[in-house]
Amino acid sequence: MKSNSLWKDAFYRLSKDKLALCALFIVVIYFLVAVMSGAGWIASSWSQEVGASNLAPSLDHLFGTDIFGRSVFQKLIRGTQVAMSVGVAAAVIAIPIGVILGALAGYFGGWVDDFVTWLYTTFSSVPNIMLLISITLILGKGIFSVYVALGATSWVNLCRLIRGEVMKHKEREYVQAAGAIGGGHFRKLFRHILPNVGHIIIINTSMQFQVAIKSEVILSYLGLGVQGEPSWGTMIDDAKLELVRGVWWQLAGATIAMFLILLAFNILGDALRDALDPKLKGK
Amino acid sequence: MSSHSILSVKNLTVEFQTSEGLLRAVNNVSFDIPQGKTIGIVGESGSGKSVTSLAVMGLLQKPAARIPNGEIYFNGQDLLKFDEQQMRSLRGNDISMIFQEPMTSLNPVFKVGEQISEALRVHKNLSKKEAWDKAVYLMNQVGIPKPELSAHKYPHEMSGGQKQRVMIAMAISCEPKLLIADEPTTALDVTIQKQVLELLQKLQAEYKMSMMFITHDLGVIGDIADDVVVMYRSNVVEKNHAETIFQSAQHPYTKGLLACRPKLGANPKRLLTVSDFMTDSGEEKIVPVERVQVFDKEIELKESSPVLLEIDQLVTQFPIKGGLFGRTVDHFKAVDGVSFKLKKGQTLGLVGESGCGKTTLGRSILRLVEPSSGKIIYDGKDITHVHHEELRQLRKKMQIIFQDPYSSLNPRMTIADILMEPLNIHKVGANKNERFDMARELIEKVGLKSNHMGRYPHEFSGGQRQRICIARALMLKPEFVICDESVSALDVSIQAQVLNLLLDLQQEFGLTYIFISHDLGVVNFIADEVGVMYAGKIIEMDKASRIYKNAKQDYTRSLLSAIPKGITKNSMAPLI
Repeated sequence: MKSNSLWKDAFYRLSKDKLALCALFIVVIYFLVAVMSGAGWIASSWSQEVGASNLAPSLDHLFGTDIFGRSVFQKLIRGTQVAMSVGVAAAVIAIPIGVILGALAGYFGGWVDDFVTWLYTTFSSVPNIMLLISITLILGKGIFSVYVALGATSWVNLCRLIRGEVMKHKEREYVQAAGAIGGGHFRKLFRHILPNVGHIIIINTSMQFQVAIKSEVILSYLGLGVQGEPSWGTMIDDAKLELVRGVWWQLAGATIAMFLILLAFNILGDALRDALDPKLKGK
Repeated sequence: MSSHSILSVKNLTVEFQTSEGLLRAVNNVSFDIPQGKTIGIVGESGSGKSVTSLAVMGLLQKPAARIPNGEIYFNGQDLLKFDEQQMRSLRGNDISMIFQEPMTSLNPVFKVGEQISEALRVHKNLSKKEAWDKAVYLMNQVGIPKPELSAHKYPHEMSGGQKQRVMIAMAISCEPKLLIADEPTTALDVTIQKQVLELLQKLQAEYKMSMMFITHDLGVIGDIADDVVVMYRSNVVEKNHAETIFQSAQHPYTKGLLACRPKLGANPKRLLTVSDFMTDSGEEKIVPVERVQVFDKEIELKESSPVLLEIDQLVTQFPIKGGLFGRTVDHFKAVDGVSFKLKKGQTLGLVGESGCGKTTLGRSILRLVEPSSGKIIYDGKDITHVHHEELRQLRKKMQIIFQDPYSSLNPRMTIADILMEPLNIHKVGANKNERFDMARELIEKVGLKSNHMGRYPHEFSGGQRQRICIARALMLKPEFVICDESVSALDVSIQAQVLNLLLDLQQEFGLTYIFISHDLGVVNFIADEVGVMYAGKIIEMDKASRIYKNAKQDYTRSLLSAIPKGITKNSMAPLI
């Protein structure tokens, strides 16, 4: 028998799942596009006129041009950069908050737990979109506010899950065994329990990523998101006026771009759960 | 097939498709279950006994499992030719099954009465009212007190033994011709086990059922089976009448199984194990004479050694929360005024049923649970209230080995990491290499190989994991170790090996043990002194040999009589 850690084992399972591999491939492509666009290697001239106004899709212009004669394809690439950066930023903000608060609440219980529970129930009692809108209104429009707003809302789910898992693992004998050999709280929590709930972070992040992307699109559509940059949301917003004139390609492009990445993240999230969640594994 | 057999299995082979290739779980197995008789299938985990029963029930997971050859005749019909519809009308009706875990095999959201009625309504087309009345009648039959009231209970309101009785009531509800019992008593205390076995025998006579009783413990089967089939590594190695098996077993594996269970009273110094009787390849070995010699404990007691641990009126209580705001309304005394002294190098056995407080007592002594009052004096020093650094230093001297080898090892750490962790915490050893060498030395002492160090816990069997747990407990060279039901989760054959290991290590390192178990046989074998616990108190305490010969308390005597004696039900001849 080979010596396999859970991660290697999970990767092996994932590599057997063709659908999940396709999804992973799409996600990687989106990330690459976002990074290259961010570095200015592609779509840096998105704001320049490349042809006449509102040209239908052709071989020259894959998704046609918009009202100012700009390439819709290049705008889509810029939009990808915005969407992916929002997903990453939301995760970077949400993971530390969610994991630390959840772990502390689950491990220590008592007033710590009461406080954290109070905090996340308060956050989750307000409809997310209201919270997003009010945070962006307070901080002012712009991509930075979107980052903060999404980070501030997406830790809640993770925190709840981590808290529950930590509570469960705290009672396990291996944690008590760590106590019996003289390990302190810090060691028990961070060396023993957290590695055993790490898969939750990965699964949840993959699920939250698409929520972040959707929220960014909605905020931008409402005009509260990125300013002076193309985003899938602003593109859909622009397209709603042009649609009556038969200019469908801007809407189609943004929708397809969004559809693909959301679908990919959904499939990937499910596959990760299957591969990593020990509950579904045979003994 | 023979006309008297209710079930006849012929040359059954079951294979599983796994990621490592085709695995043969059952190989050319044949046996018959005569009408109204009980056949016992014995074997260790992974020997294929449960897979055989699942094949009979048609419950194998397809397409992973396949049956390349074999026939299963039930009442003259070949079950393997039945379709799913036909099997379903058979299951729970003509053939029914009792599972090992009464805790998880009942649905927690339905009342037990409803769960028993369900099978009746499906198979017998009874009305809701009729089925409920029948369920109450059945609950009375299986000996559940106040069945009219108990039928309204949810599974969590019942004890383990009661739940298993409910499972039995469900299984016999349609008066099956064949009852398959898969380790039905393994998860239960010995006293409850005895009651359940008696109940099964009584019901079998009443309903004229045939029974297939699966277990890893030959001792249990002696009480109940007419014929015994011994399985080892997917094959039937021996089948015969129960008496013949117990009196003159032919196959070395059967002999090993018979010898490895600790008996009350006289035992050899080390338990015999299967490996004393046969080589890995299955050839018979001659057992060395000195291994079989019975050893009298009383001679070796070290009366003069100093007292290492003294417990004085120890009480550990847990608050009972109630009311709207979860106020503490009362206290539950898990340990209620326990006192004893333990001498260096000796073993104290603590016996009692689940819930008697023996585990809490062990954890209170180690200060893993805070005692409420009383004193713990270790090596002449009161440690009841020491904290932080002092407590951490104490952890080096006092260790614990837990019950469940599956949950007491962190699944995300390699064996090397697990063993080196105590050294890291206490800064023992100069550097990583030195710590690694110390861990390697110990892993070989507990009977594993040094190339196991890089592996993860899930790659080991239960017995091997328990060895790893023992190695971890010994890394810091403790003087005192609490073994909390450390062999209860293991098959009897593995249990003997681990008990021998504990004895060897005790001798080599001069360890003092507290050995906690619900099994008086095991405790009697390993302990110098035995304390019997009941409802948080030690009600009787004496030398191991004297407890066995003249127990003063009725409760102790009932514990003693509940232990399977390994005597067949017809002959009453003692085994070996």
